[in-house]
Amino acid sequence: MFDFLSRILGGKSRPGGPGSKSLAKERLKLALACDRVDVSPQMFEGLRVDLARAVSKYVEIDEAGMKLRFDSSDRRLALVASVPVIGMRRGSEAARRSKDRR
Amino acid sequence: MEGRVIVVTSGKGGVGKTTAVANIGCGLASRGKKVALVDADIGLRNLDIVLGLENRIVYDIVHVIEGKCRLRQALIRDKRLQTLFLMPAAQSRDKEAVQPEQMKQLTRTLAHEFDYVVIDCPAGIERGFKNAIAGADEAVIVTTPEVSAVRDADRIVGLLETQGVSGPRLVINRLRPEMVKRGDMLNVDDVIDILAIDLLGVVPDDESVITSTNKGEPVVLDGASRAGEAFRRIAARIDGEDVPFMSMEAGGFWSRLKRFIGMGM
Repeated sequence: MFDFLSRILGGKSRPGGPGSKSLAKERLKLALACDRVDVSPQMFEGLRVDLARAVSKYVEIDEAGMKLRFDSSDRRLALVASVPVIGMRRGSEAARRSKDRR
Repeated sequence: MEGRVIVVTSGKGGVGKTTAVANIGCGLASRGKKVALVDADIGLRNLDIVLGLENRIVYDIVHVIEGKCRLRQALIRDKRLQTLFLMPAAQSRDKEAVQPEQMKQLTRTLAHEFDYVVIDCPAGIERGFKNAIAGADEAVIVTTPEVSAVRDADRIVGLLETQGVSGPRLVINRLRPEMVKRGDMLNVDDVIDILAIDLLGVVPDDESVITSTNKGEPVVLDGASRAGEAFRRIAARIDGEDVPFMSMEAGGFWSRLKRFIGMGM
């Protein structure tokens, strides 16, 4: 109720729903991930595209829902990828594809 | 016993480094410790005016380093606290007038005589920064809950690590609890999560910091100020005392009203 009242009386607008801090945090995390490993956002995007292509050879993925980030908890860096899988490609298909490449 | 040399740094300018140094210094001296504050921002001297000591400067840090005066002659004793001293920066010189090795020597010499040597580091990551951290045993990083300040703080954490100053601790300055509450400002956990360093203290945004600085009296000496209380706790933590973190409940009209009605119901 007070949220409601204060929004009406206080006139605090909430553009984009949950407040601007989640956006700030998200942007900061990406910027710092790039700063820390000294990679440009372009290179980061290239890594994402190549990774999606490689994984797609074996499993069918939802590329739009794919998330890639550098995780630096404890100031040690890890590359963390979350890739939604739509379905498995058949074993023979994957094998054939990788054979084709050779 | 040898004193501790602590550098206060941030990368970004304008986040409250000098204010933090003045208040940490006064806070430690109020606890009876012998404290020397060193203004390493050569060319942009400010710690003197924040402390209200701007009219007492005769010699400065560059005079000492160039051997034009003795160390003791440049140290200004605070008017209020008998155990607090300031080594002012030079105003008409630039950062190149000092070498990191000379700073190291100077702070080491001070550490023989003082319990704490607190260095006010200039903004940036160039020569002034390298001078300021040269003799430091430990570091305090000041940031505000804004993307630019946090990003710069992260750079500083990395640079301190490569320079061998380990385990920096964080002061989050100018936190606005009402903005945090409505999700429009990074909160303490967000900042700690991003920077992954230990928290030394949180200072709420408080007008009394400005009014006390206007008077040349660090806010830590004002018993009624919230920011002053935050700095007293920070000084106590530096001094090894285990004090709880201050509640950052918004103290505005709405929170008071909510609390009032909440009690009534």
